[in-house]
Formats: sequence, C-alpha cells, structure tokens
Amino acid sequence: MLSYIFRRILQSILVLLVVGLVAFAMFTFIGDPIDNMLGQERTQDDIDRLRGELGLDQPFVVQYVKFILSALQGNFGVSYEQGRPVAQILAERAPATLELAAVSAVFALSLGVVLGVYTAIRRKGFVANLVLTLSLIGVSLPTFLIGILLIYLFSVQLDWLPSFGRGETVALGGWTTGFLTSSGLTALILPSITLGLYQMTLIMRLVRSEMMEVMRQDYIRFARARGLPERVITFRHALKNTMVPVITVTGLQLGSLIAFAIITETVFQWPGMGLLFINAIQFVDIPVMAAYLMLISVMFVGINLIVDLLYVAIDPRLRT
Amino acid sequence: MFKLTTCTAVALVLASAAVAEKFSWAGTTDPQTMDPHAVNSAPVLGFLNNVYEGLVRRGKDMAVEPALATSWEAIDGGAGWRFTLRQGVTFHDGAAFTADDVLFSYERGSSEVADVRSWFAPVSEVKVVDDYTIDFMTTAPNPLFPDSIANFMIMDRDWAEANNTARPDKEAGNFATLNANGTGAFTLADRQPGLTTTLTPFAGWWDTAEHNITEATFTPIENPATAVAALLSGDVDMINPVPIQDADRVDQRDGTKVIRGIEARVIMLGFGHDHKELKYTSDAGEPNPFQDARVREAVAKAVNVDAILQTIMRGSAESVSQLVSPAMRGYSGAKADRPSFDVEGAKALLAEAGYADGFSFGLKCPNNRYLNDEAVCQAVTSMLAQVGIDAELEAMPVQNYWPELREDNFDMYLLGWSPGTFDHEHPVRFLVSTPNEEKKLGSWNFGGFSNDKVDELLPAIQSEIDETKRQAMIDEVTGIYQSEHAYVPMYVQPLVWGTRDNVELTQRPDNFFLLRWVTVN
Repeated sequence: MLSYIFRRILQSILVLLVVGLVAFAMFTFIGDPIDNMLGQERTQDDIDRLRGELGLDQPFVVQYVKFILSALQGNFGVSYEQGRPVAQILAERAPATLELAAVSAVFALSLGVVLGVYTAIRRKGFVANLVLTLSLIGVSLPTFLIGILLIYLFSVQLDWLPSFGRGETVALGGWTTGFLTSSGLTALILPSITLGLYQMTLIMRLVRSEMMEVMRQDYIRFARARGLPERVITFRHALKNTMVPVITVTGLQLGSLIAFAIITETVFQWPGMGLLFINAIQFVDIPVMAAYLMLISVMFVGINLIVDLLYVAIDPRLRT
Repeated sequence: MFKLTTCTAVALVLASAAVAEKFSWAGTTDPQTMDPHAVNSAPVLGFLNNVYEGLVRRGKDMAVEPALATSWEAIDGGAGWRFTLRQGVTFHDGAAFTADDVLFSYERGSSEVADVRSWFAPVSEVKVVDDYTIDFMTTAPNPLFPDSIANFMIMDRDWAEANNTARPDKEAGNFATLNANGTGAFTLADRQPGLTTTLTPFAGWWDTAEHNITEATFTPIENPATAVAALLSGDVDMINPVPIQDADRVDQRDGTKVIRGIEARVIMLGFGHDHKELKYTSDAGEPNPFQDARVREAVAKAVNVDAILQTIMRGSAESVSQLVSPAMRGYSGAKADRPSFDVEGAKALLAEAGYADGFSFGLKCPNNRYLNDEAVCQAVTSMLAQVGIDAELEAMPVQNYWPELREDNFDMYLLGWSPGTFDHEHPVRFLVSTPNEEKKLGSWNFGGFSNDKVDELLPAIQSEIDETKRQAMIDEVTGIYQSEHAYVPMYVQPLVWGTRDNVELTQRPDNFFLLRWVTVN
C-alpha cells in the first residue's frame, strides 16, 4: 500500500517535470519578449544587454533548470510585463477564476441533475426532448460563440446584465470576492453559464442514463408496489443511487473548469488567471506562462493522484 | 413650499449631474507601468500624459505649446535651450514644482536603466540657472529639441527619493511602477495592473480644466468583440480601437458613434537591399532582383494602394508618398507624388531589368501588429502576381516577426513606422540611414539600404536651425529615397475610435487619448 502511494507520488513529480520541460521548449517558438520590453528607439546593444540579463541567450534547458531551482525556493520570478513577482500576480488573479469555476460547477451540477432527472422520467415528453435537443446545440457550439451570443442578447439587446468584467469586488484579507455586491453577482451570471454549459449537459446526460437504468431495477418496482409517492421514489431512492458516478465526474471536471476558463475569461474580460495567461502569451511573458502552466499541471496531477489513492481505499484488490 | 424646495434640490442635482460625469474607457493594451521614464511605448506615454506633464506639450493639432515651461529660446547661438518655468505649479501631493525637479527628472530619464534615455542623446549638460530657469546644453545645435521632449515627464525629486524610486526599474518594479505623482490634470486614484486604473481630476491643476469628468476608469479589453459589446451596451463610454469591420455598425446604432482619423503610422514594403541572393522559394540562391531599383519601382507600380484602401481599410485610410504623413513636421510637399498604379509600366520595368519572365521570392508579414496586416499582404501578393512576380507569403505574430527581420530572414517585408518625434528626420534616421550601431543610426533599416548622400545630409538636417534650409535638405533626402524606391510607402494607418453619442473628445494622430479634452453631455 505504502509503496504504491510512494510510486504514484514519484510518477506525479516526473509528470510535472516533463510538463515543465515541454513548456519551456515551446516558449522558444512563442517569440521574443525583447521587442515588447524595449521601445522603438532600442539599439542592438540594448537588445543584447536585456537578453543577457533575462538569461534568454541560454538554451531552454538551462532556463528551465533555473526556473525549477528558484521555484523550489518559492520564487517564480518577476513578470516581464508588469515588473512584479509572478506569485503575487497569480494570487491576485486566483480568486476571480476560483469563484467563477465554483459558481459554474454549482450551476452545472444543480441544473444538470434536475434536468437529467426530468428528462429521464418524462422520456417521451415534448419539453424533455426539447431540452435534449437544445443541450446538443449547447455542446456543439464553441464556448466563445456562446459567450458572444449571450453578451449580444443580454447586454447589448436587453441591457440586463454587464457585458464584461467582475463588477465591484470586496477585499477580504488577500481574497477579493464578487459575492457580496449586486454588481459582482450579476457579473457572474453570463460567464458562469458560458463556462458551465458544457459540464451541465454532460451531467444531465449522465444522470439521465443512470436514472433510466435505475428506474428499471427491482427495488423501484417494489417501492411502487408499496404505494410510495412517485416524488419519494424518484428523489430518495432512485436519485441517490445515480449520484456515485456523477460525483466522480464532477470532481474531475472541476479541474477542467479552472483550466478551460481561459476562453470564457477572454470573452468576458474576466480578470482571472486564464486572461492573465492569454496576455502573457501575447507579451511573451515567460515567467507568468511558466508559473501558470506549472500551477495547472500541479492541480491536474494532484486531482489524479487523489483519485488514484481513493481507488486504493475503495478497492481492496489494489492493496497488495 | 417643502415640495418646491425638494423639486429645486432634485433639479440642482440633475443639473450638476449633467455637467460632471463619471467616464470609463477601454483599450486593447494596459499601460504596463505608471513610471514615465521606464518604458518608451505609446500605451504608457499616452496614458501617463493625463497624469504627468512635460516642459512642453502637444495641443489638439499636435503643435508644441507651453506646459510646465512658459517659454523657451535657443541660447549661445544654438549651444543649448533655455526654458523658463511656470511658477505656482504643484505636484499632486502638494509639493512645489521647481527647476530642481526638472534636473532630477533629466537625471532619472537619461540614466542607463531608463528606456527613454535616447531622447537625451543630444544633451551634453543640464544647468539650473535659478528656481524657474533651466538650460539644456546640446552637443550640436538642435532645433528639434523642444519638440522631441514633449513626452519627457517631470517627477518630483523629494517624492521619488522618499519612496526609493530615484531610478526607474522596469525589470523588478518599484514604487513608481504602481504609484504616480505628477502635475497633470488627473491624479492616479487607484491602480490594479491589468484590471482597472482610476483617475480623478486634480483640483490644484495650474491650467483651466476643459473637461467635466469627476472620475475616469480605464479597463484593458483585449478581445475586440467584447470591447464593441461593452460600448454598445453602455458599459464603457469609449473604446479604442473599433475593429474596421464593426465601424459602420457602431456608427449606425443609436447611442454610439465612430470617430475616424489617420494615425501617424505609415505602412510600407521593405526590401533586402544588402542581400546578394534571394532567400526563399525555388529561386533561393539566385541573384536578388530587388537590388535593382527598376524592380523596386515595378513593385511600387504594381501595388494598387487605392484598391487596398477601398476594400481592406473600407475607405478609412489615405495613401502616402513618403515615410511620413502630411500632418508631420518636415513632410515634403514638393515630393507628394507617389508612383501611380500601372501594370503595363511595371511589366516594362521588369523586362528592362531582365526579369520579363518574372521570379518568385519570400514576403514576410506580421499578423497581429498593424490593422488587417495579413490581409494587406495577401492583397499585395495577388497584385504582384499580376505583373508576373510570385510572392510566397509567410505571416506570423509580431513576437516572432521582429526576431525574424533582425536575422535577415526575408526577401521583402511589411513595416509600419510611427515617427516618435512627429518629424520627417525620425524615419530617415531609423529607416534610411546606413545601419551604424555606434552612432545609433538605421537601427530599423533591416534591409540595409545605404546612400552616401543621405548619410551626409542627416547630421546637417539634425542641426540646421533655419527652417527653409532644413526643409530643402529633407526634400533632397526624400527625393533620393523615392527615386531609389528604398521603400514602397503605401498608406497611413487609420484611427477608428468609438464613443457614446454624448461624449465629445479630441483625437490626435499620435493615438493618445487625453481626458482633459473630454466632455460628457
């Protein structure tokens, strides 16, 4: 058991190191930050000097090893664009992304379960089929298009909701929250729908198929025979048994909500880490890109590690 | 009676609301620092012109006018410039403005770590005469010096020293990266890099305020569609730029309008003058046809600039004959003709040069630097194909583009140039002079164009005080690079801003947006 855990952790670290190496190899193709950092009146001397100062004249492997060594000491470098420590910038941007991901997850889970149950029970109903068809459209349209359509409808045409940004935020210690102001709450609506729509349809379809499976089971028939109200059968007996796979999938999807917030954040100018990453690519801000990619891969590797360990806890056959 | 007073009070509140407004605007790029000496880039300098001021400033028509200096004159027969400073000016923190602050800002701006130090290359010494008089001595007579320092912003010595920011620090940042203390019309109330920056009017400003803004907030919005939606939905009052394809829609909609102008930036084609051989396509290794001026002239004749402006720029831009637009100082009115579109003439020139059967070559182009840059290059490619020369177009993001040009990896390339000094001498120095690292000349002359007469005339232009003589020399240089077809200047890039209908503002060709000219009705 212990050796299994140890092996998994070692593998995770290896994966992280490889991700970092690939990332740094890619940075050499993204372009040169020097021209963004120096003005029009730069000379070749300036270019060479700055490149030397930043260590850009060295091969990417050397740059990577330097990055890892200082990252191990908690130092992720200074942003080329903003001239501030990357760790500080990421900490400022994290609340926006995490709040958006959390609201999207809640939206996806609650609406997904309700619609899943509904479409499972009213399999032949007109509304259920309409929901299924619409969800198909929702899944097949790319995120940025959904975002722009929502902005066009609810901001530009109806003028109900803000078209961009986070609204007013309240600072609580090092955390800024949009939950405490009305403008902050209304600003969350469109981006979280955009971000959560895909997960919502995924959960809905999962719940629906599980539910249809469960409804055929004997104990549901017996419950009906006992004369239990349909509501109790559906929600207390049937739904509970469908939730195990749903929770597993939701947990794994939370990671991708955070990681794939990039597009939603760009469309809504949502000041989170994804938007920061997009800006960093345009500016070739290598320290920011490197720290963000490492953060995301730590998150994914961490979630996978936990899932693996949970399997061990659940399945005795793995404990040998 | 009570009702009446309430009504009056409401009316008063409404009236005051009509003359003073909150204002919000969006642009694609966040100014990366609040330090006026750390970075020499248009987003930073344009933004900080609202907060800091220079000795001189540019008016609505780009002409230089008094700001922190009330007057200036050449002294000792051109050995330097004496500036008489404005009295009674205070910084935002209440400190008085004196000549010592100018000296300090010069030392800060000309230091090794400052990006703007190239502005002070001609300065040999700065002498404080008294509290309100200061002399900038130059190594040679420099008629353009007051023009060239319009963006040189003055910082308070005591404030900077008290906050450990006596030198800019672009790489690691310091207090002045996030805070500001200028003398300008607006104070920096809040700065959140990459998110929002808020300015409020400075009550103690020396000049009379023309604006009626009570608070102004800037938000960078990178995605053009989001910016347009923000303007249309009324979440922001002004955006810069409006994508050209959306301009008509924004203009026709109730509540919003588009303000069009032309920028200082000239878009041109450049050649590999010093390349002995072509570098791309199947003709790689063949002698470089662009070393022949007739071939370059054929390119100039083959490109139908008017068609490009009609279709790709949707009529927003203007064609240009030289490396600066007519709005710039030193524009050569005598050389205002550009080669006309002439397919037969181009073919004849190619035949004369020995390329009747044409040839193929590589055209490099950025795809995110200038307005619709890649589309322009595609149009150029198909126009050149009409006269029998085949361009193999390679477009790439600007982050990869400049290193590629520096490595000399092109046969022909697209370049845009905005003269930092708004004077014709600027592109001659950077684009036409023979590259010379030591003298800092020709640093953007990627193709290595070289002409002895131009190199000889440039220092003379730089130090000539007499306007007529100076213009005659500029005309001569213009004639040389035109007849040599060193570049093919095509058009001046358009400026397209969008605002709410109730906003009045001034659009300057340098693409600086100044809040002090904004009124919200």
